[in-house]
Amino acid sequence: MSDSPDITRAHDPATCPLVANHVRRSFKVGDRRMEILHGVTLELGRGERLALMGTSGAGKTTLLNILGLLDTPTEGAVIIDGEDAATLSANQRARIRNQKIGFIFQFYHLLPELSSLENALLPAMIAYGRGEFRRRRSQLEHSARGMLERFGLGARLGHRPAQLSGGERQRVAIARALLLNPPILIADEPTGNLDRGTGERVLELLLDEQKERGVSLILVTHDERLAKRCDRVLYMEDGLIQGDSSAPIPT
Amino acid sequence: MFRTFLSLRYLRARKTNWIGMAGIFVAVAALVMILSIMGGFLQVMRDTLRGNLADLQITPGELKSIVLDGKEVDAERDVEGLVEIVENHPLVEAATPQLGWYGLLMPDFLERAYERPLADQIKLVQIVGIDPETEVAATEFRESLEREYSKKPGGRIDCTVKRPSNLDDPFALPPDDGRRRRRDERPPDPILVGEQIAYIWGLYKGQTVTLFSATFTDKGKIAETAATRRFQVVGSFRTADNEMDSSRVYLLRGDAADFLQRDAPNDWTSVVVKLKDYDRDKETVREELRSELHQARYLRAPDSRSEPIQTWEDFRRQLLRAIQNEKMLMAIMLSLVLVVACFTIFALLSMMVTEKRRDIGIMAALGANSRGILAVFLLIGLWEAIVGSTLGALAGIYGAIKIDPFERWLSSTFGFQIFDRDIYLFDHIPSDVTPLGVGLIVGGAIFFTLLFAAIPAWRASRLDPVEALRHE
Repeated sequence: MSDSPDITRAHDPATCPLVANHVRRSFKVGDRRMEILHGVTLELGRGERLALMGTSGAGKTTLLNILGLLDTPTEGAVIIDGEDAATLSANQRARIRNQKIGFIFQFYHLLPELSSLENALLPAMIAYGRGEFRRRRSQLEHSARGMLERFGLGARLGHRPAQLSGGERQRVAIARALLLNPPILIADEPTGNLDRGTGERVLELLLDEQKERGVSLILVTHDERLAKRCDRVLYMEDGLIQGDSSAPIPT
Repeated sequence: MFRTFLSLRYLRARKTNWIGMAGIFVAVAALVMILSIMGGFLQVMRDTLRGNLADLQITPGELKSIVLDGKEVDAERDVEGLVEIVENHPLVEAATPQLGWYGLLMPDFLERAYERPLADQIKLVQIVGIDPETEVAATEFRESLEREYSKKPGGRIDCTVKRPSNLDDPFALPPDDGRRRRRDERPPDPILVGEQIAYIWGLYKGQTVTLFSATFTDKGKIAETAATRRFQVVGSFRTADNEMDSSRVYLLRGDAADFLQRDAPNDWTSVVVKLKDYDRDKETVREELRSELHQARYLRAPDSRSEPIQTWEDFRRQLLRAIQNEKMLMAIMLSLVLVVACFTIFALLSMMVTEKRRDIGIMAALGANSRGILAVFLLIGLWEAIVGSTLGALAGIYGAIKIDPFERWLSSTFGFQIFDRDIYLFDHIPSDVTPLGVGLIVGGAIFFTLLFAAIPAWRASRLDPVEALRHE
C-alpha cells in the first residue's frame, strides 16, 4: 500500500472523512532513530467500519494516535474532513479532536472525580464557554442522559467511575465519544479489557450506534470475530499495512 | 467552561488542597494581624515622640538686621506683631510666644549633691517660658496638666507632686507663709516640672528647687556670673513623651526673662503655632509664613543653611525615620511566611500534576488545548488564594481588633502575663487596621500564589498527550 499514488486529492471529504497518506513516524531512542511506521496510507469512508489488526508492536496504537491528531507524523499527511492536519495549529488540532473525533480507549480513561453524566458531558464542557454551555445545557444533558439510559446506565448517572463495572465504564466512554456527534470514531481495543460476554454486549451497543449515526469507525482489535463484523480489515505488521480485505478473513 | 468546573472539582476532591489553603490563611492572617498591631504600636510611639511640641515652631534667632530687597534694614523683634501676622494666616488656628533656654536644675533639699555631685542630682533641663493663657490654644500644655499619673509595675503612682490645683491658672502660688525665700528674700516664682523629674527626686508641692543657667550680655558674650534662682514647685505635668517629662520645666515667660537677665521683660525666642489641619497644610503654611515674615523683617531671606520654621517632625526626624524603617523591615520579613505558604501550594500542585498525568492526557484527547489545561491548574491555585487570603484577612482583622481581650483571656487562662502593660505608657495593645494595608497583603498573597502555581500548571500544559495516556 505504501507505494500507492497520492490519494489525498482523489478523495472527496464528503465520502471520505479521514485519509492518511504515506505516514511515517520515528522516535529517537538513545542516539539512533527508530521508525515505527514506515509509510502507511489508508482511507476511511463515510460510515465505514474499519478494523485494524496486527501483532503487538506493529504500530497500531501509534497509527491511531496520529489519525486522532494526538501525535504528528514525522512524514506524510493526515487529512480530516478535507483539512491537512500539518497546516493546523495545536489549538486547531485540539478543536478537531473535540468536534470531529470520538475516542474510545481500552482502559476507558474516564476522569475519576466526575460522575457518569459529567464524564459523558466533558467534550461539551471543553467545546463551549460558560455562557454557551449554559444555553445548551438542557439539550446537552438531555442527549447525554438519553444515551446513558439507552446504554442501561439510567440508575448510574451520578456514580463515579470507581463505582462502575468495566462494561459500564466503557459504555460511559462510548456515550462521551458520541456526545458531540463526531464524524469519526477511533477505538483502541474497546473490549480488550472486558470479559467475553460483557465485551460482546458493549460492542453490540457501539456498532449499533455507529450504524445508526452513520459514523466512520476505525477500530483496533485482536478479536477475529469482531473483525468479521467490520466492512474492511487492515493487517499491520512492522509498521506497514500488509493486507487489506474488504471481506472478513476466515479464522 | 471545563476549566472552572474541573478546577473546582479537583479542589474539592483533593483534601491536600485544603493544606495549601490553610497555609495561605495562616500567612495572611498573621501578616494582617501582626502588621496591624505593629502599626498600632508605631502610631502610639509616634504620638509619644511628639510630647508637647507644637505643629510649627518659628525661631528667627537674635537678629539685629536683615537684608531685604538688597538693602540692609533693622530686624523686627516685636513679638505681638509676629503673632498677629501668623494668626492672620487662614490656615493657622493659634500662635503664642515662648522663651526657650537650657539650665541645670537641682532640688534644694539635696545639699549632698555638693558631696556627691551625681548626674541624677543635677539635671539638665529645657526651660520653657510660656504665656499660659495663649499656650493652651497652641500646644498640648493643658492636656499635659490633665493627664493621668503614670504607673510603675504593681500600679504604684510615680508622681509625688500633684498636678496644679487650678488648671486655669496653673502657676498660681500658695499663700506666702514667709518660709520659702529667694536669696534676695523675695518669695520664689512658680515652676512646673515634668513628672519624671518629680518622681526621681521625690518632689512635692511647695518645695523649692534651684535653677542655674549661663546668660549672655547684650553684646552676645557670656556673662561673668551665671543666673541662679530658687523656684517653687507648683505642680507637675505629663506629656505623652517620657523624655520630655524628665527634661522640661515650665516658667512664666516674664519670670524666665527676668531670671535669664534679659533686657526686655517681654523677651522671647520662638513662636509656636497650631494649624487647623497639620497633615494637609504644614508645607504650605511653612512656605507662606517664611516669605511673609521675611517681608515683615522678622526672618532672614530663606536660604538652604538654616530653617527658621520647623515642624514637630523636624525635631524628631531621626526617630520617625527609624520607625518607618522598622515597619518596612517587619513587612518584608513577615512576607517570608507567605512565601513558605506559596511553596506548599507549589509542592501540592506539582504532586497533583504528576498524579493526574493520565487525566491531563484525557482532557487533551477530548480537545482541551494547552491553554485550557494550564488554566485548570492555575485556577486551583487561584481559588486557594482567594478563599485562603479572604478568610485570612477576616481572621487577621478580627484578631487585630480583639487582640486586647484575647491577650487578657490568654493571660488569665495560663496564669502569666503575655503583654506587660506596665512597660509601656499605654494600657492596651494598640492596633491600626488600614484598608490599604489589608488590600496589599491580600493582593500580594493572590499574586504570589498564582506565580508559584504557574510553574506546575505550565508543566501540565506541556505534557505530551500520547505519553500521558500511556500511563496506566
